Order: sequence, then structure tokens, then C-alpha cells
Amino acid sequence: MTDAKKVALGVLAWTSVVSALHLHFNVDWAPILNDRLPEHRRKINVAYIPVTCHLACPVTDYITRFTKTGNLFLPKMFQGFPEIKEALISNKMQAAFMVAPMAMALWSQGVPVKIVYLGHRYGSGVVVHKDGGVRTFADLKGKTIAIPSRFSDERLIVFRVMKKFNMTAADLKMVEMAPPDVAGALAARAIDAFSMGEPFPSQAEMGGFGRVLFHAREHWPDYMSCVLVVRQDLIDRRPETVQALVDGIARSGLWLDDGRPHREHAADFVGRYYYNQDPKLLRWALTNPLDRVVYTALTPYKEDFDLVRDLMIETGVLDRRIEFQDYVDTRFAEGARRQTPWKYVPNSGVAE
Amino acid sequence: MLAWDILIRWSPGGLLPRPWEVVQGLTELAQKGLLFKYIVASLFRVTWGYVAAAVLAIPFGLMLGWHRRGELALNPLIQILRPISPLAWIPISILWFGVGDVAALFLIFMASFLPLTVTAMNAVKNILPTHLNAGRNFGLSPAQIVLKVIYPSVMPQLIAGLRITLGIAWLVVVAAEMIAVNSGLGFLIIDARNAGNRYDLVVAGMVMIGLIGLVLDLGMRRLEKLKSLRWGYASE
Repeated sequence: MTDAKKVALGVLAWTSVVSALHLHFNVDWAPILNDRLPEHRRKINVAYIPVTCHLACPVTDYITRFTKTGNLFLPKMFQGFPEIKEALISNKMQAAFMVAPMAMALWSQGVPVKIVYLGHRYGSGVVVHKDGGVRTFADLKGKTIAIPSRFSDERLIVFRVMKKFNMTAADLKMVEMAPPDVAGALAARAIDAFSMGEPFPSQAEMGGFGRVLFHAREHWPDYMSCVLVVRQDLIDRRPETVQALVDGIARSGLWLDDGRPHREHAADFVGRYYYNQDPKLLRWALTNPLDRVVYTALTPYKEDFDLVRDLMIETGVLDRRIEFQDYVDTRFAEGARRQTPWKYVPNSGVAE
Repeated sequence: MLAWDILIRWSPGGLLPRPWEVVQGLTELAQKGLLFKYIVASLFRVTWGYVAAAVLAIPFGLMLGWHRRGELALNPLIQILRPISPLAWIPISILWFGVGDVAALFLIFMASFLPLTVTAMNAVKNILPTHLNAGRNFGLSPAQIVLKVIYPSVMPQLIAGLRITLGIAWLVVVAAEMIAVNSGLGFLIIDARNAGNRYDLVVAGMVMIGLIGLVLDLGMRRLEKLKSLRWGYASE
């Protein structure tokens, strides 16, 4: 046999073996099989990232697996908002949890999506180094603060508080940073503070190097950050599917806010099966105190979104006034108002 | 290892792992069965992206090198596309291929295709005219010229290019696995960043990428030692 034939056979054998192993160990067949179903029977793909703002998504998926009808949608974990945005635009994801300003900016740029529900309320905060000498927000003058994205409520809350303290954008150096990196950067004193959603403030607290300077709700009552966004074509063609999705998220929110045992159980299964995070971290974020993040009162209100819109315009990330009724579809939230919490006792294996 | 350990003691923040903690992290991953799965996933993506690029880029590059007009027409485009980092293709790969293996394969393909095209193109241009003329003087047909003159002439350069490009493809696996795949050594690094204070797993992923990169390079070096190619290298 010639050398060329030996090499070709070697490459063929290697490719076959590695492909067979990958197909066996790593490929999730559920989305592949789902894509081959007729559209009316196809489950929608819902994108989320591993933060507590999106917790209702994995909680709904987990609990509905124990119901007679099974799970309502296929959750897909991403690592950042830009990838979610692109997957939504290209219709690879039909719904997604994302920060409200990004959803509003997408709509204003002509992407056919609508906000249908909130993901949570509260759950963001500004964290400083425990020994950094920062006692009030005014002490941050001239210092560096990390934010997750220019299209985030975590950035807007910083601007809102800056105004209260008579500070301007020039008084603070704001840097965009991937949320998973902020706790390490604070520990290494590469930044002086960060404004992020949970569980990253909890991570800094648990690590013993961070201190919450303030929670968002202290300066922004009814604070909301992430919202549930759905593609317009799905709303037009399958409104009943969107309603089922919103109902499921609403029921999960009510279940999560039903007391400490539910939150502790959620921290355990979400940490282990969805987020790959230490359940202790999620438990801290969800129970310290219990209303650190809240998953009820998730109907979108005009006043909340007008506030976000005005702050976006003021801080230069939105170039025109957009109206609540144009980019929010409230009928699904209205339809979910009468929902009750899931009847699911932790570890029972049965839900309805 | 000692230098690593000492540097960690001096590093600010105290979050970076010491060598022993990384070994423990690797053990934990192996015990959970994740290490093998992730290695397989990364190797699968690199294999398919790289092999697809090689299968298409080598004939394409050889053709461009052989036909001067083709080179004149397409080389400017190739040189414009070549410096673009594979990271810049991430948004486009998601818009075209969605999320999952195909988008990741596309990024690895893009990282490999253009370097291999240029290598093949240059390899043809570097064939000594004496060899081609000798082949023609012996009355070889065009097909025989390709098999008996061009093929053996370009192989040493192609193998060197293949070896360098495999290194690039393996380098890109972290970026390729950032985009919504849920397995692989690149995913391990991204996922560990999200998992709180698990920098031991971040470094464990880096160590595994380095070690497997070394093994892949050793495999490519074996190709260089094949008898039919040895003429292109200095005698040991």
C-alpha cells in the first residue's frame, strides 16, 4: 500500500471514530428531531443565559417534564446576549430572554420581535470591593465600574444614581465586561465596582471580597431588567403556543415566590442540570434575602418601559421615541394573570 | 510547575488556581465523564472543519498556482479575507448556520481554508521548471505530469502547511465553542467562567487544549517522516 493510501485510510478511520463518539456522547437529538416535525407540532426554541434573571426558563422546563403534557419548549443555553440576538434574528431561536434595552433597540432597528413578559424584577446591584474605601456612590468618582452591555438596565441604573449624586458621565469610567469576568476582576482590583445581575453580586459576596453598595430597587422601585421576547411571525401564526409559554413562565414565577423550599430546590436542580453552577451560589442569590430577585408581577407596564426608553435616549443608545404599544404585546401577560403556581412538591416527580 | 505555584502565591485576588487544584479539577471532570466527552467534541469539530478545508483548499490552491490568470483574479480577494480573524466570522456563522456544530465547524473551516489555499498555491509556483521540462521530455501525459511531477513536488510544502494550519484550527476551537454549543474544551472554559469561582476548570481546559495540541502536532510530524516525502527535508 502506498503512503498516500495509508494516510487517506488513517484520516477516514480517525474521522469515523471521532464522529461516532461525538454522535453517541454529545449530540442532543431532541432539537434535531423537533426540526423535522410539522410546524404546528414543533416545539419552539427558547434562549437563555445562566443568570438568575432567566431562572424561570429552566424552572419551567424542569417542572413541565413531570406534567402529563411534557415540556412546553426546548431551552437553549447561550453564553452571551449578542449570540442570542443573532440566533433570534436568524429564526434559529423563536423566543429569548434578554435585557429590556436590547430588546427595545432590536425592535426599533426593525427586527420583527415583541416583548411579551418580564423575566423577573429586582436582582441587580452595584458591588464594590470590601476594602476599597467606597462607602457611598459619590466615592466612586474617578473610578472604574464594569457594566454588562451598553444595552442593559445595569448601565441605566448607574446613570440614574449618578444624577442623584450630581455626577456626570465624565465622573465615572464605565467599561463593558462579560458578566462572568467581573467578580474576578474586582477581586484582582482591576475594576473598582461592577453593576450586574445575579448571581455575580452574590459570587463577590460569597468570595468575601465584594460588598453590595446598593441593590437596584433602592434607587429604582419596580426595577426590571430581563424580558421575554418572541418573534412576530410566531405571535402571528401560533399565538396559542406563545400563550402556553407565557403561562408556563408565570406559573414558574409563582412557584418560585412560594417560599424558601421551592427556591432552594430550584437552586439545586438549575445549578446542577442547567447552569453548571454551584447550587450554593444560586441558593445565596435566591434566598439572601428571599426578595433579592422576584419572579411575580411580571406583566409589562407602560410606565416601566417609558422610564427605560427615556433613559436610553438620554444616554445615547436609542435615537428616537418608541411607543410601548408598538413593541410590547400585553395580551399574553393579560391571559396569564389568572395562572396559579405549579402543583409540584420538590422531588415528588409529579407536577400539574 | 514550581514557577506557576510561586506566581499564583503572588498574584492579586487569590482566585487563580495552583497546579494541584487544576489536577483536582481535571480529576473531577474525568470522574463526571465530562473530560472524555468534551475532548471528543472538540476533536470532532476540528477534524471536520479542518478536513473539509483541506479537501477543498488544496485542489483550489493548486489550480490557482497552476493557472496564472486564476491567481491574478482571485489572489487579491484571498489576501483581503486572510487577515480577518475567525472571531469576526462568529455573527455571520450564527446568522447562516444557527447555533450548534455546523456554525462551529464553519469557523474552523474558515480558519483553515485560506492558509491552506495560499500554501498550495505557493507550492505549485515553487516547482522547479527543470522538473516539469524533464517530465515533458520523457513524454508524460498531462495526467502523468500531475501524478508524477506536481504531486511529489508540492507534498513537502503542503505537509508543512497542513501542520501549521492544524495548529491554527485547534487554536480556534475555543472561539468556535463559544457560540452556543454545549460541549467541547472551549465550552468548558466559557462554562467554567459562568460557574462562579471555578478558575481551576478554566485552567484545566487550557491545559488539555495545550496537551492535545502537542499530540496533534506530533501526529503531523510523523507525516513528514513518510518515505515518499522524505526527499523534501534535510537528512537527519
